[in-house]
Amino acid sequence: MLTGLAVIGVARFLQQRQDFEDATARSYQVEIAARNRLAAGTNPAASRTTILAQQRQRQVLRDDIDGETRDTALLVGAGLIAGLTGAALLFSGLIASMRRPLEELVEASGRLAGGDLDARVTVGGLSETATLGAAFNEMAGELQRRAGERDQLETMKDEFVLTASHELRSPLTSVQGFAELLMLERDKLSPKQADTVEIILDNTRHLVRLLNDLLDLARSDAGRLTIKAAPTDVASLVEDAVRTMRSQTEGREQTLRQRIEPHLPQVNVDRDRIRQVLVNLLTNAHEYSPPGASIEVTARHRNSQVELAVSDDGPGMAADQLEHIFERFTRGDAGLTQHVGGTGLGLAISKSLVELHGGTIAAESAVGQGSTFRVRLPAAER
Amino acid sequence: MTRVLIADDSETILLLMRTRLEMEGYEVVTAADGVEVIEALHGPDPAPDILLLDAMMPRKSGIDALRELRAEGLETPVLIVSAHQDKMDAGAPSDVEVSGFITKPIDFELLFRSIAELTGDA
Repeated sequence: MLTGLAVIGVARFLQQRQDFEDATARSYQVEIAARNRLAAGTNPAASRTTILAQQRQRQVLRDDIDGETRDTALLVGAGLIAGLTGAALLFSGLIASMRRPLEELVEASGRLAGGDLDARVTVGGLSETATLGAAFNEMAGELQRRAGERDQLETMKDEFVLTASHELRSPLTSVQGFAELLMLERDKLSPKQADTVEIILDNTRHLVRLLNDLLDLARSDAGRLTIKAAPTDVASLVEDAVRTMRSQTEGREQTLRQRIEPHLPQVNVDRDRIRQVLVNLLTNAHEYSPPGASIEVTARHRNSQVELAVSDDGPGMAADQLEHIFERFTRGDAGLTQHVGGTGLGLAISKSLVELHGGTIAAESAVGQGSTFRVRLPAAER
Repeated sequence: MTRVLIADDSETILLLMRTRLEMEGYEVVTAADGVEVIEALHGPDPAPDILLLDAMMPRKSGIDALRELRAEGLETPVLIVSAHQDKMDAGAPSDVEVSGFITKPIDFELLFRSIAELTGDA
């Protein structure tokens, strides 16, 4: 209603302005004609009278319009105030009706970005916000559907690896078992037969190792590689791993030394898993280094961490090789030229295991300079 | 002589285990699934001193058979032999008493030590 009043006011003002301008224009035209006649010398008295009359008429018109303009201005002012108040009310309503859905969208986007795929908004309000809300919900639904499909594929992959590992393990049990059975009666076999059975056994053990590693990686990918951490004595852990490797390194006349700093704090780890990491690093050092090489394990306290390092004076690695060393199925060059029993998965698994403990693993090496692998684990709080 | 009951759905594995166990001087009874395990224990033959059960077998799994036998009051030590690498994957039963797990491929030296400890032959 108030807005209507303002519109009427403004329309009336514009009409009066137009009328005034038309009348003034006509008055000027008459006056100019009189001035022309005066200049031309025709009827000078009449022309002068006309000019004065026109000037007076314009003054009257001006006074008239001034009075009316005051009235109209008042009307327009009132109308404008009323209109603006109305508009303000209308806009505040409009803003409020947009603000709530927008705030909800912002909040839902935040939740969605944070990984809550159930985040949805209420669709409603103005058509624009409703469209935006519906589009958001559609997008969130699509994301959820894709995440669901991905999870399902991941689960299928994990199940497949578990099942495959299980199914392969049964025949492997027989192959390994019967080969071992033959080796129990080695003295009844010819040397050639014994060697053949030894090869069967070596390869079976390699397959079993590969299966175990693949299973570990599949578990790690599925977030199902679990650790049972407990405060563990570092010295005994290192000694244990070194003892496991001793006969193998002695077999290639490599020296295997351990240097353990006194008074090391304990580490909160799954003993079997960290032992697996150490044995893996030692196995690599042993297999990639030539006979007679030196291998050393050190354990020291660094800030709030315990660092376990395995170094060798073997052939070392070039930078481009070092860069990919923790990736799956990556092996050092020596793996291609000499007999290496690894699966190419050991370092990838070691990395997963160390990181699962909140630790880090890194490699330093250069061609001809040997290699050092450092595992840093958080020291247990005392 | 210590009597060992082994249950596995693979004949080859039964043959392997029987051979190794007999070479070690054990008396061996075999079963192809959980149903046969229960039949063997309900039968007239002398009760085994230890059971080695495959976790997954058709008809009736080793764990299901064991659950029934424990409910009947069986106190014989039991080792679960599983192709799964760890207890979690093998679906380690929380409601049934199990003496230990042996994973496939079988480490026979470890198996013999476990049997000796559980049957008091050590």
